[in-house]
This record gives sequence, C-alpha cells and structure tokens, in this order.
Amino acid sequence: MQYVTREGIFHRLHPLTKLIFVIVVVILAVLTSDTAMLAVLTGLVLATAAVAGLARDLLRQVPLLIVLAASLLILTILISPDGVTLGYLVPAAVPVVGGIFPITAGAVDLALAMSLRFTAMIFAFQALVISTQPRELVYVMDYLRVPVDYTLMFLIALRFIPSLQLEGRRISEAQLARAYNPGRGPVGKIRGLVPILVPLIVNSLSKATVLGLTIDLRGYRSGMRTPMRNLTPGRADIIGFCCIGLLITGYLALLVL
Amino acid sequence: MAPEAVLSLKGVSYTYPGSEFPALSQIDLNIRRGEIVLVTGPAGAGKTTLCLAASGILYHDYGGTLKGSIAILGKDIRDYPGMAGIGREVGVVFDDAEAQLIFSTVEEEVASGLENLGLSRDEMHRRFHTVMEATGISDLADRAPHTLSGGQKQRVAIAATLALGTGILILDEPTAELDAAATATITDLLLRLSEEGVTVLIVEQKLNDLARIAGRTILIEGGAVVKKRITKTVLGRPGDSFRPPVPSQESVTTPIISIRGLTHHYEGVAALKGVDLEITSGEIVAIIGENGSGKTTLIKHLNGLLRPTEGSVLVDGLDATSAPTAELARHVGLVFQNPDTMLFAETVGDEVAFGLENIDPGHLCAEKVDAALQEVGLLHRKAVYPRALSRGERQRLAVACVIAMKPRVIALDEPTTGLDAQESAEIMETLGRLRRDGHTIIMVSHDMHLVEDCADRIVEMKDGRIVPGKRTPEEGPCPRSCSMSPGRASFTASTRSPN
Repeated sequence: MQYVTREGIFHRLHPLTKLIFVIVVVILAVLTSDTAMLAVLTGLVLATAAVAGLARDLLRQVPLLIVLAASLLILTILISPDGVTLGYLVPAAVPVVGGIFPITAGAVDLALAMSLRFTAMIFAFQALVISTQPRELVYVMDYLRVPVDYTLMFLIALRFIPSLQLEGRRISEAQLARAYNPGRGPVGKIRGLVPILVPLIVNSLSKATVLGLTIDLRGYRSGMRTPMRNLTPGRADIIGFCCIGLLITGYLALLVL
Repeated sequence: MAPEAVLSLKGVSYTYPGSEFPALSQIDLNIRRGEIVLVTGPAGAGKTTLCLAASGILYHDYGGTLKGSIAILGKDIRDYPGMAGIGREVGVVFDDAEAQLIFSTVEEEVASGLENLGLSRDEMHRRFHTVMEATGISDLADRAPHTLSGGQKQRVAIAATLALGTGILILDEPTAELDAAATATITDLLLRLSEEGVTVLIVEQKLNDLARIAGRTILIEGGAVVKKRITKTVLGRPGDSFRPPVPSQESVTTPIISIRGLTHHYEGVAALKGVDLEITSGEIVAIIGENGSGKTTLIKHLNGLLRPTEGSVLVDGLDATSAPTAELARHVGLVFQNPDTMLFAETVGDEVAFGLENIDPGHLCAEKVDAALQEVGLLHRKAVYPRALSRGERQRLAVACVIAMKPRVIALDEPTTGLDAQESAEIMETLGRLRRDGHTIIMVSHDMHLVEDCADRIVEMKDGRIVPGKRTPEEGPCPRSCSMSPGRASFTASTRSPN
C-alpha cells in the first residue's frame, strides 16, 4: 500500500479534501450498524475509486478482507449468538459434539456489518494513500497542527509497509535460492517462518536508525515546510466537497427515515 | 583548531555502548573550507564510526563514550540542538542507501529536504532540477525508489542530500555500488562543489576517481590514523595475484547455460529485452553494465526466482522457465549482494547446514559443512553467531552456504561490494579454486578491474540487452568504463585490522 503515480481525479484533489473524505467515511461507518447502509457506503467508496481509476488497486485487498470477514463471522458465532438459528458450525448429526455452536441470524448480521464497516474504512484509507504523496500528507498534518512527532511516526509507518514487503520478498528469494521449504502442517509452517522472520526483524531494526536520522537531517523538524507543488484547492475540490456534503445529507436522511 | 577549519576533530576517541574497546582512538583532523578529504582503510578500521562522529550523530543519537572535541563551523557539536540543528550545516550520505530513501517517488525524495528550508517555490524548482541533472537521475524522477538498482538508489540518496545545499558533506562509501560512469559523474560533481567552497569528507574503500580529486587521503586502521597523508603511488592496483587457473580443455566445450530471446517486464518496465547468452561449463563469466542495465534480473532467471515474460532459459539440462526453484537450487547457487538477507541461524555451521538439509532432509553430512567452511577460510568460526562476523566474512559465509550444496553453476551478484581489497582478493581466490574444481562461475559486477583480473569472458549489458561482441579481458574492457577507473586501493594483509 503506497503512492502510485497516475493521472486521476483523486490524484488531482487537494490532500486535505481526501483526508476529510476518509474521516467522513470512518465516522459514517462507525455511526451505523445497519448492513444495508454500510453496503451502500462501501459501494459508494468503491464507485468513487473506480471513477478515479483506483478500483483495481482497492480490489487487491479483497482476499485479505475475505479472511477478515470469515474470522469475524466465526468470532460472532462463538460469542454473540442472537435471533433465529440458521444452522450449526458443527452439524447436528455429528455424535456428541453436534450442534454446539449455533449459527444465528443476529451473529451473521453483526459479522456482516463489521466486515462492511472495515471494508469501507480500508478502501477509503487506501484510496487516500495510493493517490497522495507522503510529503503532502505531512504538509496537511502540519496544517492541522498535528504534533510533529505524531506526523513523523505516521510517515515512518507509511514508509515501513512497502519496505517490509520488499525486504520480505528479498529474504524469501535468498532462502528459496538455498532450496528453502516453507514447511508443511501448522508446526512446520511456523518453524518455516524462522528463516524469513529473523533476517526481516534484524535488518528492519538496523534500517530504522538510519531512517530516523535521515528524517532529522532533511529538516523535518524545521517547521518551515513549503510544498514544491502548488497545493491550492481547485475546482475538483469544490466538486469533492459537494459530493461529501451529498453523502452526509443522504446518510442523515436515511437515518431519519 | 586552525582558524579556517570548518570541521575539526581534536583528540576524539569513542567507545560504542556495551563495548569494551574504543572504535576510534585519538583522532585529530582539521578540514578547511572547500577541501576534499578522503579517509580510507580496511574493513572494520572505523571509517563509518568516523563519519558518525564528525557529523555529531554519535553524540546526539548513539550514546556511548565520546572523548575529545568535535566542532562544526567553530561550534562544538554539544552546543547544537540535536541532529535537526546540525542538518542545516552538514549533509550526510549513509552507506545504506536504501534505508535513507523515505518517499514514494524519486522526485519526492529529492524535493523532500528542499521543502523544509523555507525557500521560494522558484528557488526550490531551480535547485531541484540542477541536482537531478548533476547526479544524472532526471530520467528516474517518477520511479519508485524501491524499483531502482543499488547504484541508482545510491545516486538518489546523494541527490537528496546535495539538494539541502549544506556547506559540509560527509559521505560514507558513496560510490560503493556505482558503475564507472556514475562514479565519474559524482566525482566531478564533488570537485565542482569543493571549488564552490563546499567541504567534503568521504570515506571509501575502493578509491577509484576519488583519490584524484581528494586534497588529502588519510589512512585509518584500528580506529586510529596511521597515515596522515598517503600518496597516490600507494594506491596502486593489486595486480593479477588472484587470477584463477585456466580450466581444463574438455570443460570449456560443453554449454551449461543457454538463454534465448529472454524478455522480462517488471511493473511496466522492460528490464530485459531479448537477451541471448550461452555459457560453457567451467567458464568464469563476468556480467558488467551500468546500474539498472538488467544484470541482477538476468541472473535471477537462472534459478527460477524470476520467470521470463518471453524466451527460454536452459540450465544444466533443466528448463528454468518452469522447473521449481527448489530443484534448480541444486544446479545453480545464487549468492546475493547483501549476505544479511539470508543469515538467520544461531551459528555459522547451522547456517551452512540449512541449505544441505533442504536438498537432502535428514541426511546432513557434517563433513560437507566443514569442507565448505574450509573452502572459504571460516572453519575456525564455525560456532560463531553469523551476524557477529565482519562484512567480508559474512560474504564468504554466503558463498559457503551455496557451495556446500555443490551446484554446478555459482552465480554471484556484486560479490565484492562493501569489501576491502584484501577481502575482495580472498573471495576471488575462492572462486578460482571452485572453477578449478569444475564449477561454472557467473559474476555480476560493476568493478571493471576485478572483472579484468579474474574473468574469462566479459558480457556487457545495456538497457536490458547484451552489447554485441564477445570480449575477453585481454581485449580490454569497454573504453568508457576503463577510462574512468584509473586505479584502486590496495591494502596488503599487513595493513588489515585484526577483526
């Protein structure tokens, strides 16, 4: 998840507009548990991304979201049974343990709502990250008077996601060249992670020192930030704000109705 | 302190936290405005520590015990408000280029520092374009730093520092991964900057063009200055001391690698564009070329880490476009540029055993581990934690890990990066012995002198293609590369630090 150079509506928007869009989506997603409304919200975020040419990037997260949704479903079935029983996690026909975990309509509904909520928030955040250069985010956070330490922490976190992916791939290649076998079975798979995780952690820690020093030496604490690119809001931002306003109005109208 | 000195170290000694022995001892160094001082010495001599000390990083960021005084522009480093304050006067390029690339495009990377100086937008643009052109990276502006080659990353890191416009530059091995042309570009640029009054402190092992532009070259060893001014005659070439023996006649006739029309696209970039290459058994082939020319991409196709977009790759009778990497690893050993990408075990012995266990589970042969370690001269270090070894030793361990698996082909990506001349010679001697034992060696390198000294054949790559014409070392390297590297440092075994 990192900035991608591309020509699109989202790329042309002022970073503050995009940040407000993400904040609005997060607030709207948190304020309701209605699956229909959350589904509409997720659909709108995806449609916006599609118009901006970012849909394919967002859809890459679908496998991760499916795993998340499945985990949430199992969790809600186990801890939050409510309403009509739709079936059983362990079929009733199984002797002794059959029918011990009922799958209830309430649990499914809750899992669905939580999954849609996460999907809307992750899609909105990803659309922001892949269409906004990190330095522009830093500029906006400065403008919003976010303390510089938090801004720099955010910057480092953003930088480390692709960096860890890259380092992981490189380490994996180096071990594959030694006929590395990722392991079989749960224990084998966990053991098989050692040749990847140990170098990944040790190498990342050593790079973190240089990264911190570089940020300091490039003057990120100077408080004299001037963006090289013109970041004045334009017509696209006015349209963006109108869309955000419509989104909030529609949401409130649905709540009242 | 001399009145005109802009960077001054007086009686500086430093001991890292948790260490009993000082990494620097009684260093005295005064550097005048506009002077270029080159500090050299064997691996582990304390060159990087000297850079960290001179830039105030040791005092402000590392802790440990620092004695003596360090002054930047006449002001003691203790009086600066942290590294952010020193950063206004001093630009530092670290030896790990990748770790100092923070942003998502090269343009953003170079512009990032400029945006924190309070400059006008016009001045920022002017300075940005000047630096991008001067470092030869204008064409990389929209590329993501993580997609660049090692040498390109190094140039971006240098550009991002130069853009800050500081009066003092401290550079830790800034040309270690650069090819001859890029080294010449950076060297000329530093010379121009020094003429404009910028003070430069560089540490480097392979001196190349840097010795030409340096006003003074200082040799350090064991953390202390052993020669305050070394002449260029000391910096001769090591000669043909590690030229490997010629293989037997029958071994040079059988082709072991056959590549036809190999094309590879990576994230929309054509990294290889129709490469044809045949390598015969027992050869030592060097693949050279400018940074980003596709050398590493090419050798990753030999063991299936990358698969061709088009074309065929046959290795030791196996189709490398479809055979599993685990199977290909028995035939082709690949030693990566940075040994730290693979080291994970508790001991050197376990590290070597890992590959053997993978290809023959449950039949680990201790003799094979010992033989591989003996080959690279690390048998006496068998019980040591791998990351406690020196950089050169770790590189040799990476070679041992691969040769223990007895692959017929051994490919090495920049095997001497970060090594001093003695360590480079040791690696080359090992390769010479391996060739004598029947292995085929493929070596990616940008070090023309190394290549001239030890390769049977030189294959030059440019923009994802092989430059036509078979070249042998006797015929000489390409004129462009050769003319740009007049010599390099040579340290005899007696000048090495005892690490």
